[in-house]
Amino acid sequence: MSNMNEKLLIDIGSTYFKVSTDNSIEQHFRDFNKQILDDLTHKCGDTLQRYDSKNVHICSSANGGLSTLIIGVTHSFSLKYASNIAYNAGINVIDSIIFQDIEDYSIPSDLIDVVIIVGGINSNGGVFDERLTSYLAKLNYSSVVYVGNQPDGALVAERVEQLVVLPNIIDDRLHIVEEHLKDFLTNLYQQDIEGKEDIKHLYQITDNQIYSTPYVVTKSLPLIHGSFPVTDPFILLDIGGATTDVHYSKDLVNDNIVTEQGFDRLVFKKLGVYKSRQSLIFTAENNEFSYELLMHLKVTENIYQEHSEKATKVLMQLAIFLVLCKMSHYRPAYVTLRLLTVNSIVFTGGITKVLTTEDIEDIVAFFYRKILNSDHKPVTVLDSGYNIWTLGAKEHAVCL
Amino acid sequence: MKVVTGVIGNDIHVVANRLMDLSLNARGYEVFNLGVNTYLEEFFDAAVETGADILLISSLNGEAEGWAREVKLLKAEYKSIDKLIMMIGGNLTVGSGNAEDIVPRYQNYGFNLVCHQVDLNTGLDMLEAYVDEHRPGERGKGELGNVEHNTREQVPS
Repeated sequence: MSNMNEKLLIDIGSTYFKVSTDNSIEQHFRDFNKQILDDLTHKCGDTLQRYDSKNVHICSSANGGLSTLIIGVTHSFSLKYASNIAYNAGINVIDSIIFQDIEDYSIPSDLIDVVIIVGGINSNGGVFDERLTSYLAKLNYSSVVYVGNQPDGALVAERVEQLVVLPNIIDDRLHIVEEHLKDFLTNLYQQDIEGKEDIKHLYQITDNQIYSTPYVVTKSLPLIHGSFPVTDPFILLDIGGATTDVHYSKDLVNDNIVTEQGFDRLVFKKLGVYKSRQSLIFTAENNEFSYELLMHLKVTENIYQEHSEKATKVLMQLAIFLVLCKMSHYRPAYVTLRLLTVNSIVFTGGITKVLTTEDIEDIVAFFYRKILNSDHKPVTVLDSGYNIWTLGAKEHAVCL
Repeated sequence: MKVVTGVIGNDIHVVANRLMDLSLNARGYEVFNLGVNTYLEEFFDAAVETGADILLISSLNGEAEGWAREVKLLKAEYKSIDKLIMMIGGNLTVGSGNAEDIVPRYQNYGFNLVCHQVDLNTGLDMLEAYVDEHRPGERGKGELGNVEHNTREQVPS
């Protein structure tokens, strides 16, 4: 048995799992023909045996997180506030709907984990009508939560079964109120993780609650300066096999949201180099600068068809470029960051095992030159030892 | 009545904005102050979220016209603010200009009330007269007391 206070930290990703002790960190490619626990025991059995189950802390992003569809009344307030809360709770926003045009939107065919309905301050009732219930009736969802104006909440609750009504996320000063919806979504994500068959088995090796990886990474952000040469404002890119997570300093956003935390998170659900490879290639093919980037890297579009180390490396470089594009004015997604004021870009996740600092700097410089017409050069920081994750996990384990 | 107000575009005249807020509040309006550096979409969005009756945009740096040109186009995208009373005031041109030219131009952009270099109280008197004429009996509705929304850093002008 290990030292009584020594912690074993395990992160289960969609492609790799990582196991961290006080002295070392191991990373293994997952065997998708095996249960996670079997795979883990097979590859790290000796390490696991040395730890008491109360000292094992596990987090997982292997299920890709929950999906949400948000129905709101404006982009600047209801949709923005709900998206912000959802992303920070580790939930992926698959679509946002403006209520006034709800009849024009197509109905998503996939099962949606949670539908969020939001709109209006409490003194502004009558925002929603029967078009909402008609739309919900056609939608395939697991749960639905109402966080809009109070008067409409009671009416919607009468017509929508199992509607969870929480306090409005927009207060009477048009400010965001995060806590209730954030707690609800975090718990939902937590229940989802615990409900997964694969994850359930992991409770055989730990006495502690299994958390979502974004939740753990968020814990590490305020501590990052102690371990890395990072200058504010910074962005952290976690480019993994299935998704790409972006954590960014709030200073980088011209926003009307005032919250206590200094960082926000967003996720590109289908931007990854393994499970989301095809979607990454699709995004690349639809970006007119990708061809130029491939030329810059001295490869052709045939690289998309290859399955080699070189192809993976190029895809990762493309992923960096595409993510930066999505956060710039060039391809605005959920937020547009002031990328010319970024001083550091921290890279973590599987990407750090394949690319060198020079490889990444080359792409970042290409992005700034081509998209932002600038020679701005933020410092690239590579977290190749998964220290950011262990920092958050340790912080969390100590707090427990 | 509910009023959404703020300073449009790249204008940071926060003192004027604060005075506007206080004056509206003193006259019994329920005020949603978006502060300085506010974009047109945010004004309309705030009107939708609050169910505002009046949108009062101010500008002191004279650059409002660049934004105001888009008012009709943008407002047409919203289905629930047809009855919104649109007012703009402050210094509405860069350099010199006279109200005879400026007022009809802004009215053409979609504003019901335009106050170019008119003092605050006179402008608010004009608003009251307009409300009494077009929405008789509605003035005085809504809660008394100031409701502020200053989410951005406020830089003294």
